[in-house]
Amino acid sequence: MRIELKREGGVAFIPGLNRPRLFNLADLPPAQAEAITRSVQAASFFERPARVGTASKGAADQTRYTLTIEEGGRRHSVQLLEPVEDASLRALLDLLKQVERTAARAPPNTVNR
Amino acid sequence: MFHPRGHHRHSLHCILPPYLLRSVAQNGTGPQRAAALHTAAVDSTFRSLRFASTQTAQRAPSRIISGMMAESQCHRSIYDLQGQETFPGTLARSEGQGATGDVAVDEAYDGLGATYDLLWEVYGRNSIDDSGMRLNAHVHYGTNYDNAFWDGQRMVFGDGGGDLFNRFTIAIDIIGHELAHGMTEDEGPLVYFRQAGALNESMSDVFGSLVKQKFLNQTADKADWLIGAGLLADGVQGKALRSMKAPGTAYDDPVLGKDPQPGHMRDFVRTWEDNGGVHINSGIPNRAFFLLATQLGGYAWEKAGHIWYEALRDTRLRPDCGFARFARVTLMAAARLYGEGGAEDTAVRDAWNQVGIPVTREKVSVAFIPPQQGVPASKPSRRPNA
Ligand SMILES: [Zn+2]
Repeated sequence: MRIELKREGGVAFIPGLNRPRLFNLADLPPAQAEAITRSVQAASFFERPARVGTASKGAADQTRYTLTIEEGGRRHSVQLLEPVEDASLRALLDLLKQVERTAARAPPNTVNR
Repeated sequence: MFHPRGHHRHSLHCILPPYLLRSVAQNGTGPQRAAALHTAAVDSTFRSLRFASTQTAQRAPSRIISGMMAESQCHRSIYDLQGQETFPGTLARSEGQGATGDVAVDEAYDGLGATYDLLWEVYGRNSIDDSGMRLNAHVHYGTNYDNAFWDGQRMVFGDGGGDLFNRFTIAIDIIGHELAHGMTEDEGPLVYFRQAGALNESMSDVFGSLVKQKFLNQTADKADWLIGAGLLADGVQGKALRSMKAPGTAYDDPVLGKDPQPGHMRDFVRTWEDNGGVHINSGIPNRAFFLLATQLGGYAWEKAGHIWYEALRDTRLRPDCGFARFARVTLMAAARLYGEGGAEDTAVRDAWNQVGIPVTREKVSVAFIPPQQGVPASKPSRRPNA
């Protein structure tokens, strides 16, 4: 399974954080990879619509996440707007952020393709 | 009007005839002047006196306060989300209560107060909607959350992960920035896309910076004109999220990359990212405001701030307003407030000129915008119009 997490928005446009992050589950520690796999299933990710959440009138600086997952020939993208109210999608997002964070200040190429 | 507590120091109950109001507005100081102007703003008699010889481009007063009462009503509520992302969380501090010892709660409380005070004391505006709207902030959103946002009704602040960002309440201008989004939505709106969105963002930076400058009692030449100073964690190579004085110079870091903001139309960035570059191209109007304020000297919230505030309230500021149209509206605002051909009029023109937007009251032109910039996923778009 390969996952791409892309962020947009926020109170500033930060080029380094705007770059998509790629997670290749085969390269992750088995426990992390397994947790992510379970979370993708729990969120019924492949059955989700392309957009979850809508910006309310006048909202600004919200982060928008685009999650793209490839697995066994299928590929699906879901756009999530902060705050993510759906608990299982939020859990998946939190998990990916955690994995990302462990490599956050390592050289950019270790997480990024 | 019932007024539970706090902020009585700014109150001025006016039952005054228009000529006296005008006198207070012209000769009074601080809160008196603001209250008189505020009252004037809801009184059409005064309005017609004030704008007798000029176009009345201002919105008709939409909120009529009974009698001619002008009174500040700051009602802050700070909620603690305790790391959750579901609202509202626990009420941690409400208006008039003392410090809690939770630094994010107390910073949010003080930052909202400073923002309310700037709007009230300088612009005679009673909160976000000019009708005393309650100010709700929610802190400790999520875990290691690196952002602050305005969801249309409330301000939300993350604690920051500590590796790249500190807590988002640390910068008072960021608090002012989020609150100003509410004000823009109320007065504008300015759609959150492309140039109008960049103006929306710039408006928040301008008023956010003014909150900070007033809080620190700094004149334009003493202010740092940074947005979000103190927000970047130790070790990050940079000093803030943005610089209004020198857009593009706020940070240059191996992880964050380089500040992408332009300060001139020649460097305008066309992109589909970030709602069409709203946090990128805002550097251009930001710098125009900085140039105006430093040219005029003194406190930026006074003349420069009044010109921008007047422009924000102008009915000609359409939701899809581009930079050039906005520049023209500020020029008309300067002439309306301080007279045609005066130093303010000239300074506004000069400021826009220096960022590549030549402007006259009659017509505006936009400097040549080069095609395609080096921002990822950029696509050509139509030439921005006025
Ligand atoms: Zn903003």
